[in-house]
Amino acid sequence: MTTQQFLLSAWGWNPVVIGVCVAAVATYGFRYRRQNGYFLAAIVLFYLTLASPVGALANGYLFSAHMLQHLLLLLVVPALALLGLPELKKDSGVRVPPLAGWLGGLSAMWIWHERTLCNAATTTTSVRVIQIISLIALGLMFWWPVIGPQTERRLPPLLGVVYLFSSCVGCTILGILITFAPVGVVCPVYLHPVDRLGILPLLRENWGFTPAFDQQAGGLMMWVPACGIYISGVIALLARWYRAGETSVAAPEPEPVFPPPRTTRGNA
Amino acid sequence: MNGTTVSTADEYMPMAKEAGAISCVATVDHKRIGILYLVTTFFFFLVGGVEALVMRLQLAVPRNHLVGPGVFNQLFTMHGTTMIFLVVMPALIGFANYFVPLMIGARDMAFPRLNAMSYWLLLFGGLLLHFSVLAGGAPAAGWFSYTPLSESAYSSTQGPDYWILALLVMGVGTVAGAINMIVTILTLRAPGMTMRLVPLFVWMVFINSILIVLAMPALNASIVMLLIDRQLEAHFFTALQGGAPILWQHFFWTFGHPEVYIMVLPAFGMISEVVPVFSRKPIFGYGFVAGSTVAIALLSFGVWAHHMFAVGLGRASDLFFAASSMAIAVPTGIKIFNWVFTMWGGSIRFTTSLMFAVAFILQFVVGGLSGITFAVAPIDWQMTDTYYVVAHFHYVLFGGTLFAMMAGLYYWFPKMSGRILSEKIGKAQFWLMVIGFNGTFMVQHFLGIMGMPRRAFTYPDLPGWGALNMISTVGAFILGFSVLLLGCNIVWSLRRGTQAGDNPWNAWTLEWATSSPPPEENFERVPEIHGRRPLWDLAHPETARAPVKTDFCPEKNKTSMIVFIVSEGFFFLMLIFAYIYYNYTQKPGPDAASSLDARKTLLFTCSLLASSFTIWRSETAFKRRRHKPMVLWLIATIVLGAIFIIGQGSEYWGLLQRGITIRTNLFATTFFTLTGFHGLHVCIGLMLLTIVLVLMLLGDFKNFRPRALQIIGLYWHFVDAVWIVVFSIIYLKLLL
Amino acid sequence: MGLGMEMRFEGCPAGVFAVVAPVFSPVSPQAEALSHIFVITLLVCAAIFGIVTLLVALCILRFRGKPNAPEPLQITGNERLEISWTVASILVLVGLFVLTVHAMNVSDPAADRPADLTVIGHQWWWEVRYPNGAVAANEIHIPIQSNLLIRAEAADVIHDFWVPQLGRKIDVIPGTTNSLWLRADAPGEYLGTCAEYCGDEHAWMRILVIAQSPADFDAWQARQLQAAATPPSTLAAEGLKVFRAKTCVNCHTIKGTDAETSVAPNLTHFAERTTIGTGVLTNDAESVRLWLADPQKIKPGCHMPNFELTTNELNALTAYLETTK
Repeated sequence: MTTQQFLLSAWGWNPVVIGVCVAAVATYGFRYRRQNGYFLAAIVLFYLTLASPVGALANGYLFSAHMLQHLLLLLVVPALALLGLPELKKDSGVRVPPLAGWLGGLSAMWIWHERTLCNAATTTTSVRVIQIISLIALGLMFWWPVIGPQTERRLPPLLGVVYLFSSCVGCTILGILITFAPVGVVCPVYLHPVDRLGILPLLRENWGFTPAFDQQAGGLMMWVPACGIYISGVIALLARWYRAGETSVAAPEPEPVFPPPRTTRGNA
Repeated sequence: MNGTTVSTADEYMPMAKEAGAISCVATVDHKRIGILYLVTTFFFFLVGGVEALVMRLQLAVPRNHLVGPGVFNQLFTMHGTTMIFLVVMPALIGFANYFVPLMIGARDMAFPRLNAMSYWLLLFGGLLLHFSVLAGGAPAAGWFSYTPLSESAYSSTQGPDYWILALLVMGVGTVAGAINMIVTILTLRAPGMTMRLVPLFVWMVFINSILIVLAMPALNASIVMLLIDRQLEAHFFTALQGGAPILWQHFFWTFGHPEVYIMVLPAFGMISEVVPVFSRKPIFGYGFVAGSTVAIALLSFGVWAHHMFAVGLGRASDLFFAASSMAIAVPTGIKIFNWVFTMWGGSIRFTTSLMFAVAFILQFVVGGLSGITFAVAPIDWQMTDTYYVVAHFHYVLFGGTLFAMMAGLYYWFPKMSGRILSEKIGKAQFWLMVIGFNGTFMVQHFLGIMGMPRRAFTYPDLPGWGALNMISTVGAFILGFSVLLLGCNIVWSLRRGTQAGDNPWNAWTLEWATSSPPPEENFERVPEIHGRRPLWDLAHPETARAPVKTDFCPEKNKTSMIVFIVSEGFFFLMLIFAYIYYNYTQKPGPDAASSLDARKTLLFTCSLLASSFTIWRSETAFKRRRHKPMVLWLIATIVLGAIFIIGQGSEYWGLLQRGITIRTNLFATTFFTLTGFHGLHVCIGLMLLTIVLVLMLLGDFKNFRPRALQIIGLYWHFVDAVWIVVFSIIYLKLLL
Repeated sequence: MGLGMEMRFEGCPAGVFAVVAPVFSPVSPQAEALSHIFVITLLVCAAIFGIVTLLVALCILRFRGKPNAPEPLQITGNERLEISWTVASILVLVGLFVLTVHAMNVSDPAADRPADLTVIGHQWWWEVRYPNGAVAANEIHIPIQSNLLIRAEAADVIHDFWVPQLGRKIDVIPGTTNSLWLRADAPGEYLGTCAEYCGDEHAWMRILVIAQSPADFDAWQARQLQAAATPPSTLAAEGLKVFRAKTCVNCHTIKGTDAETSVAPNLTHFAERTTIGTGVLTNDAESVRLWLADPQKIKPGCHMPNFELTTNELNALTAYLETTK
């Protein structure tokens, strides 16, 4: 099979996925008056992640493709979906404590790469479905305190920076461990894929995805692009913060997180 | 004089007011400590400079015999270590020490005595490093001490041991200083100075201190492991028994690359102060300069492997690190345009300070661009470890940071001394330095392209090599002469320089709102803060905005403990990482399953976790002002902690009985190191708790004022949290 | 006596540029790709440096402040300008990255077969092992126009194998093996060096790659398998005795004698080599004598001790080593 044939043929038309996407778009369309493109982008990306050749590769062939899928489902799709939601009042809707969001985001990274779970999610459909749902859910939880629709409840920008940076450290460590682990330690299923589509020679020889390269690329995916997403988040937060400072200096400042100290210098 | 409510007075020793030599030693005034830093670093700068000149003499002609390889290798190792750890870093810290409190309108640093300690640790660390010369030879393994060359098998003198100890001593001081700086900036800003109104120098020092807090533990952890290898015959980085020399490189550069930014960010800050003042315009794009600095700081932890492209890490790794290294060039590069456009449309005054800043911009661009050629991994495959690298990082650190420090020195000297440095000598020094610097290092790019490897004590007489090396040597001596001229300028100007007055440059930040030099309490009255340029707003009240309230002002003791815990967390991360890395696969000899009794460990683990609960109860009692439960719960905590230590001790004893020591194999090496350091932290925690207990019994807690309990409680929770991680990594799978 | 490496390039004007800028004188497709991307990157860098210099020069010329001039217009920034130069620099780097990927693939293809020869870095010399069993030191003979896969190893500390005209450098690391493609399209001698600091004599850990026509190479390789000839003269025979008596055999191999250790360079065909001490001296009788008299004087710190040979022993040993063709 050539690359071109593969890219054209490896599209999935799973009715459940399509149904979920249509339902989500329909609900969004009926529910909210003020809409923007983000939510639609999230759904399209969600569909592409699962049904495009990336999905086919992630399904048992390439660890790196799996990792790409993991990142998109956990970090990108939920973020876009949240950006698509209109602003909510402070006391309406759910409240996600930052610590829970942070732990949720991080555990989604770590737990699903435990050897048995990683294998099971690749080989068993039911576990796979649970994985996808949990990634989306935990992703929403993770982003909620930073870009959630309750704008007044969002973390203060500088704390948001800390929140995102510490998450970046968390997934960096996992990425490093995967990158430099002996081949096949992380998720052995990908060592010898069942070649359903007859593309294994194409991947191994033409594309150069040897198991070693594949695992390294997967680990690095978790590390560099994932941190790229977090850091983009940091930059966006800072940009918003400074812009707010430029336009209205006297605007109410975020609540101090710690009680203010005694005055240690006087200028009475 | 009496504009301050001296609530921090208890942090000053009365001795500091005495005159004479003793006051210099006992001082806790941030300004005097800043000067001490600068004087010390100038001294070490001369030492490192002389080392460099001897090296350049040796390399002036091919096949020279002035010094042998042994001496030469010690020279470049000491030159690198001295210039990085004893000159560039502490000089920047010195400037920050003097000016950050002034620029934010504070009376002093948040912890003046800790500040003094940081300085003395630096000085004694430096002396310890140089003591190695008397103790059988300076270290000679290069400033990044690659293993296994730095292991005892190949470096049998005690040089590397002194190097490690000195770096540890300085490292502790640097981290303490950085924590102090972070807390100072977070908690002592003048009313109205929000975090987005601070001068850029302060912002850069702030980000820089965060980098130090996160990066230094990586160095400390790796040199501790090297020390364990050297002294206890363990196997972290020897190729025997499965140890990985490459792991050292990963660990070292995890620190080493952020270190590069630690050495340039405050310099960026100085340029961002100097250029606007002498262009008579505010900085162009404050938000971009400040925000891109954050991006640099975050990205700097993800680019270290570009120091290792020649190692053969694999294609995937090389590609990703090439990409991330290019990415970090963006936030660094765009700053250049911010500075240039600050000058654009201004009314530029060509003082020596500004001339150094302009030279900085151009030279830093050269260093940055040659840095891009290293991000392009295939070029790195040719040019790394040659003189091209030497040229590159000298353009960054000398042509960049040192020129920025010169700009800063000429700018701030009047504030520190009350007199302006002679502009006439200054300009002569400037031109000599520019000629000397570029003469020395520009040709080294070509030497690299010609194939000359770095760190070679001599070289064959191939066409062109001798000539270019001679030019470089001549340049180095011109450079040396320019430094002497600077010394003369300082000495002359201290006596005869023009009186500066409060604000000789008509600058805008708060340090110029007080006398030169400032009084001990810094300000009689801090002006009201309306924006980023308080003194401009004073002079132009019609354009000033309404003042705002301070945004973010945490409690200082708690903040410092949190920052310290983060730093410690990174230290443990390295140890944990080493454990996981070496125990992925079964190695010959004992492993966790065959040598540990997880059930027993679970028991004393429960005891440690219970102690977190008891100390929380004690804190609650403290908040409710109930003395007796507070004491009792604290005693329970100490007992539970002691049980843990005894349990761990018995585990160690059992292992040692069966002949499993730290040198047995990599499992034992990593196990003892990780659990040992954790145990050490528990012991320190116990000591602190005991001190608090004694204070309680002595009645110091009668008024429920001291915060010590809460602060140490935080630390104790941290130690417990680390153990949860350690336990789940080492023991959990044995239980399942 | 001559001075090692330099002698190889005297009176060789055609090769001067190659010696002066080996990075830009590639003789293999791999090195060509590296040279190519280096030139492009340098041009891009030069353009950027030119722009910054021009802007700074304009600032200096146009915006020089006059004494007592009023304060200029206080501009705090321009978001559109900032974003555009950020985007522009990202685009430049994306372009460079694409070229980088290409250059990496050309200059360092994956190793897909067993190695053709093994290079082992020692403090401070190179051991070269050929598949037919031949062992050489410091001088690597290769046939031209054939892709050789090198297996790179280290015996003690980390070294780095670098021959700029032939391609990338690669670290040789104890406990790990690396691989590297080596190819020379034209016959000739190509200089290289150890590039990673490896201790005292890092400076004298040079490499000489000698690319020959396949026929010459085959002849050379076959010759390496031959044992050393019996000493033709009494003086040389005396030298062999010295060689065996003075514990030289503890480190060196000379095939055909009982010297069989490979801690130090194999001396079976020592006299054929062009330099001694990994590039310190040219290999002639006078230099060999100097070297034997006190290696520590010629190459301080090297692992060969001063055996304090008498004049007679020196003469004999030198005579013997000169016969190891």
